[in-house]
Amino acid sequence: MEPNLLCFILSTLFGFALTSFNQHLHNGTRHYNYCVLGAGPAGLQMGFFLSKANRDYIILERNSGPGSFFNKYPRHRKLISINKIHTGRWNREFNLRHDWNSLLSDNPDLLFRKVSGEFYPPADAFPLYLSTFVRELGLKVQYGVDVGRVRSVQSAAGRSYVLTDQHAADYSCSVLLVATGLWVPQEVEFAGSDLVEGYESISTNPDDYKGQAVLILGKGNSAFETTQSILGRASRVHMLSSSPVRLAWQTHYVGDLRAVNNELLDTYQLKSLDGLVEAHLEDIVIAKQEERGRRRSGGKKGETRAKLYLGLQKFRQAGDERNASDVSPEELPGHHIDNFPLRRPYDRVIRCLGFRFNFSIFDSSARPPHSHNAKGRLPGVTAWYEGKNTPGLFLLGTASHSRDYRGSAGGFVHGFRYTARAVHRLLEHRYHGNPWPSTRLMTTQLTSWILKRVGEASGPYQMFEVLGDVILLQGSHCEYIEEFLLQALPRFASLSGHEVSSHGLIVVVMQYGKKKIDYLGRGRAETDWTKAWKSNFLHPVLYYYDSLPTEQDMKMRPHGWPLPRPKAIHHMVEDFLTEWDGPLSHIQPLRRFLEHCIQTDLRAFSAETCFRSALTHRRSPLSCQQGYLNQRGVQRYGQLTRGVYEAGLVPAEQVSAGTSTGASPAFPNYLAPAGASVSSGLKLDL
Amino acid sequence: MWACVAFVLLWIRSAGCTEKANMSKRIEYTAADFYERLLSGKMMFLYFEQQVSPTISLFLVELEKSAEALQDYGVLVGKVSCQKEPIQTYCAEAKQQHTAFLFRGGREFTSFSLDTVFDVNSIVAEVLFAILGDEVKYVHTDADLLAMEKAAKGKKDIVLSYVRSLGTEEHRALMETAYVYGSKYQFILITGGPVLKQLRVNESPQLSRVWFLHCRVHSTSLTPVTPVTSERCPLTQMRKALSTLNLHTFLQLLEAPLVSDVYVDPSSVPPPQSPYQLTPQVFLFSHPATVHLDLDTATTLAWRLRGLAMLLLVHRQSPAVKTPEKYNAAYRLPEKSSEVKYLTLHSLDDVLELFTKQEEEEEEEDHVDEEEDSHLGELDDEVAAAVHKNRGHFQDMDSVTQLTSDNFHAEVAQSSLTVALFYLKWDAVSMHFLSSFIEVAERLEDSQVDDVHMCVVDCGEWTDLCAAQPGSAVPFRPIAAFPSVLLIRPQQSAQHYRGMLTGEALHCFIMMSRMASPVPLSTEEEVTSFLQEAPHPDLATYRPDRILGLIRTASQPGLSVFTEAAKSLRGEVLTGLLTDGLVEKWAAEYAADPPAVLLFPSWRNPTVRPSLLLVDSSSKELLARIYSALLPPVVCGYLSVLPLQDLFLYNRLAFKGQKTVFVGTALQKQT
Repeated sequence: MEPNLLCFILSTLFGFALTSFNQHLHNGTRHYNYCVLGAGPAGLQMGFFLSKANRDYIILERNSGPGSFFNKYPRHRKLISINKIHTGRWNREFNLRHDWNSLLSDNPDLLFRKVSGEFYPPADAFPLYLSTFVRELGLKVQYGVDVGRVRSVQSAAGRSYVLTDQHAADYSCSVLLVATGLWVPQEVEFAGSDLVEGYESISTNPDDYKGQAVLILGKGNSAFETTQSILGRASRVHMLSSSPVRLAWQTHYVGDLRAVNNELLDTYQLKSLDGLVEAHLEDIVIAKQEERGRRRSGGKKGETRAKLYLGLQKFRQAGDERNASDVSPEELPGHHIDNFPLRRPYDRVIRCLGFRFNFSIFDSSARPPHSHNAKGRLPGVTAWYEGKNTPGLFLLGTASHSRDYRGSAGGFVHGFRYTARAVHRLLEHRYHGNPWPSTRLMTTQLTSWILKRVGEASGPYQMFEVLGDVILLQGSHCEYIEEFLLQALPRFASLSGHEVSSHGLIVVVMQYGKKKIDYLGRGRAETDWTKAWKSNFLHPVLYYYDSLPTEQDMKMRPHGWPLPRPKAIHHMVEDFLTEWDGPLSHIQPLRRFLEHCIQTDLRAFSAETCFRSALTHRRSPLSCQQGYLNQRGVQRYGQLTRGVYEAGLVPAEQVSAGTSTGASPAFPNYLAPAGASVSSGLKLDL
Repeated sequence: MWACVAFVLLWIRSAGCTEKANMSKRIEYTAADFYERLLSGKMMFLYFEQQVSPTISLFLVELEKSAEALQDYGVLVGKVSCQKEPIQTYCAEAKQQHTAFLFRGGREFTSFSLDTVFDVNSIVAEVLFAILGDEVKYVHTDADLLAMEKAAKGKKDIVLSYVRSLGTEEHRALMETAYVYGSKYQFILITGGPVLKQLRVNESPQLSRVWFLHCRVHSTSLTPVTPVTSERCPLTQMRKALSTLNLHTFLQLLEAPLVSDVYVDPSSVPPPQSPYQLTPQVFLFSHPATVHLDLDTATTLAWRLRGLAMLLLVHRQSPAVKTPEKYNAAYRLPEKSSEVKYLTLHSLDDVLELFTKQEEEEEEEDHVDEEEDSHLGELDDEVAAAVHKNRGHFQDMDSVTQLTSDNFHAEVAQSSLTVALFYLKWDAVSMHFLSSFIEVAERLEDSQVDDVHMCVVDCGEWTDLCAAQPGSAVPFRPIAAFPSVLLIRPQQSAQHYRGMLTGEALHCFIMMSRMASPVPLSTEEEVTSFLQEAPHPDLATYRPDRILGLIRTASQPGLSVFTEAAKSLRGEVLTGLLTDGLVEKWAAEYAADPPAVLLFPSWRNPTVRPSLLLVDSSSKELLARIYSALLPPVVCGYLSVLPLQDLFLYNRLAFKGQKTVFVGTALQKQT
């Protein structure tokens, strides 16, 4: 009670202090509780939550409209995020599982389908959608503010962030939400890298590539997208990067090569002059050489084009300070290795290596560290997306992807819209004392509720292994908290404002099987519920802990697991239709698992059975207590299968009582056989 | 109630006690009895009771049971109480406590440790085994068995048996059979191991088995199957489980003629008579031309079917035989309709297969049953199982309107009362109640109740409607329990139906809800009609609780409290509100000081004076007091008189909470 009260008072004071400062201009400085940097999808998503909660916020955007990244990218103007409109379902939550572009809002019509009906929509539709989103929800966005510097200021009221724009105007923010995305092209330094064209500036007219040999650096979606567009014109397309191509349908990671872009794989393996090569980009050399042979014969044209040769660092003569383009034929790999795959010259070399986070605007006092993964392109963040070492500064959107890089969907709209919501819930608790929203359920309703969530919830489905539902067990009731950040589970109590009782907790997570299998081969699907743990496709997994896992537990968790080893685990067998509602395969095993966790019979009983058990047991099954004994019994229905009750459970409460139901004239006859079976074996002392 | 239950239970208890006393008296003998019977040379199986411990008392119960069983074999079973009748020889030593004695011919014949005679089966088996003595032989090796066979050849058939463990029901069955047939057959018990191997039994776990060794008749003259040179007797294995009845039937069957001749059509051959009634019949057909050959074939087959089926040879020359020529065999199975099935055989193995396979199938079926018993593939939730069983039948949803996020407001605005069921497809209770709900809708439609709009909401699909956040346009809070029934009236917050999940209860509630609550009553006629008439012809058999509010003026503070309470009671209780003039009259009559409430509980005779409640400061308190005042005293006899559902409908609160425990513990304490 005490800490809660304290927390409340503090947050109230804090809020008061903030509001008193708010809207006042001190030396040209504007103050806001929340500043969102960038009006892209993540920034606007956060803007919606802040606006819904009536918070004092501003979204700052340097361009004149939202989502400006999408005005330019993807260069070939086709989004590869799925816009599946026809799911055959009306369930709006479920439909979001198949809508990768919409942002979350309370308006059921404010979906991406409003602006485009195409499965792979044109890129121009996205800024259009975002401006509709801003307009309809009345989000506070200030355009034309190009923040060039972010620094943190420590004052009596606490830490705040000061943003300076191109006109040297300052914005002071208690909480800074950085949603600037990734837009600085990733480059790799090597000899001759200046000869390389970038994805950001290449021509998107396929005719410009007519008859040319093209080398593309990178094997991601931008590289393949480029390849795909020039495939019909270029004479040969080679793709070079350090790692082999990863197919999204094999890795379940949408950032890997999507099948929509993979035509080159076809032409490569169907022997059509295209191909993939692996090499470390740091080791290559691009050299320009006039094609001497051609010059003489092609004299008519009067104009020749220099050819680009690919070399390797190891063949370069050391200590050479020459221009990279001056490479002697002896320095080319073809001179040393006569079957060097890339020995033929190229007309163009294009860099398609993706983008990185812009760290440069952050003052050292406010700069988040580089992530350990993703080649340091992303800022490092905590499990709840706060910059490491920068309290009060959160990263949203694609920039927050280091938490689940190459894993889940946190770098994509259909993933970070949920993490933004989680961050907002955390802010609501931390700064305003509002605990995470939860649903209080009767424990007998828990099975149904879990089935409802695994059947429709889009957050844990898109952000599999990152977001999960937390169920706090409290005896006859439980609290259901949706979409908590799994990696932050050790801090659950302090982040969410909910206490974990001695009954423990269950976490519902969606996850893929960990085994690498032939994803199109036979036996890829597990259908037997008794072998549910062998499921390969996305399926719900329940983790039961009797107390919150610690940070240490989290660190020591088995490799590849989203959570530490639990006290009990339950896999719901994968389902082809992703509908986990089979009475035998899904529901009953789930119910038994829950019964095991909470040590209570969770079956539903008819009024008759409840009546019998009320007479013969000290405590009736929970469903009778919450149903029948509350006057909400269920009628026996035709021929209910007899003997089901006798199947057992609740033996702990068996009391030798009502032993003579069969013989007693005080009981109607139809109770006799059943009553006797409930208390069978107890007749000894008569 | 207490007294009643207590009496019933005491009566049973005392009845039980006297019966028990009688039983134990029946087998108790005095020292005089003992000596008298000993001298008469009768067989006696006696236990000398020194001290009664729990194990001993269990044994005594079994001893009583075996008294009856062994009576048939001329063995007297009993106990002698050493405390009352100290017989020196048997009451002195402590170890005799764990021993029972068999007396025969005036002396102690043998004694048994209580470890070997622990229940009725083991007592009967061991005692009979002791009495039979040499008549049942133990054989340990195959050589011994061979010697026995040689000795028996031409004289006696041998019944060879293997019992998995002694003292079991199987052991008892064998001993009882041996007692009856001991003079006719040589009974042999084998102890497993080498002999079993010889008999080619290598399954594990080994089951108890019985073989019949045909040693009496010279084998060569009988069967071409057995090699002529064999010294061994041909043997037939009993295929059924070892029990007294099966063993008896088996032995009888082997006594039956190998092949019987019939001259009528198989269909007119009567099914086998006792003791063969459980035996299948096999018919083969014989032509006059090949009669010897046919007989040989029949005999061969009969040998192979021994103990399995009876073989009848149908002579085709008889005009009564109507079977078409294309069939050469027929059979009739017991139990399953005694119809004769005809078939064309190509080899004898086909017939054999027919019967052995069937057995296997049956075994397999048993196996499947066992698996189901282990509750792997079966629903153990009775409601879920019932719904699952009914899964093929789709609900006819024509009589209800499906509410969606889109049509909700329009539909609700249409009618003065909308009853909406919120359900989840995977929730068995929901689906179970859905069918009752539809029935109620149909019933309302049939009785032309058109001011009630019955609707359902599939919360698996319209999740945003069911979870609509407070503050949005819907008149209810997010639904978190399924099934939920809401009664929605335009411009009012929805009322939760909290009654039994049965069609009957819901129907009643809906019909009652159609009445205003409270009903304004301005004349005596209206009051009389309110108190005595059923609110609707459909509810004619139902007697609702009624309450009357006595509140002087519209401005009296009790009014809002009462109307608030009446609103919550809507559907469960009929509430009336007397207007100005009547208030004083009624108040005077019942000595009430308005604001007050008069209660007319359904369980009380309407002519009896109503109970009186003063209106409290809050409607919540008032409600609680109304509920408890409406509670009937629990009357003994309710349980047997009223069907369960009615019991719970009429006496809503009788079993709520602690009351249930109360009734439950009342029973528990008495037992």
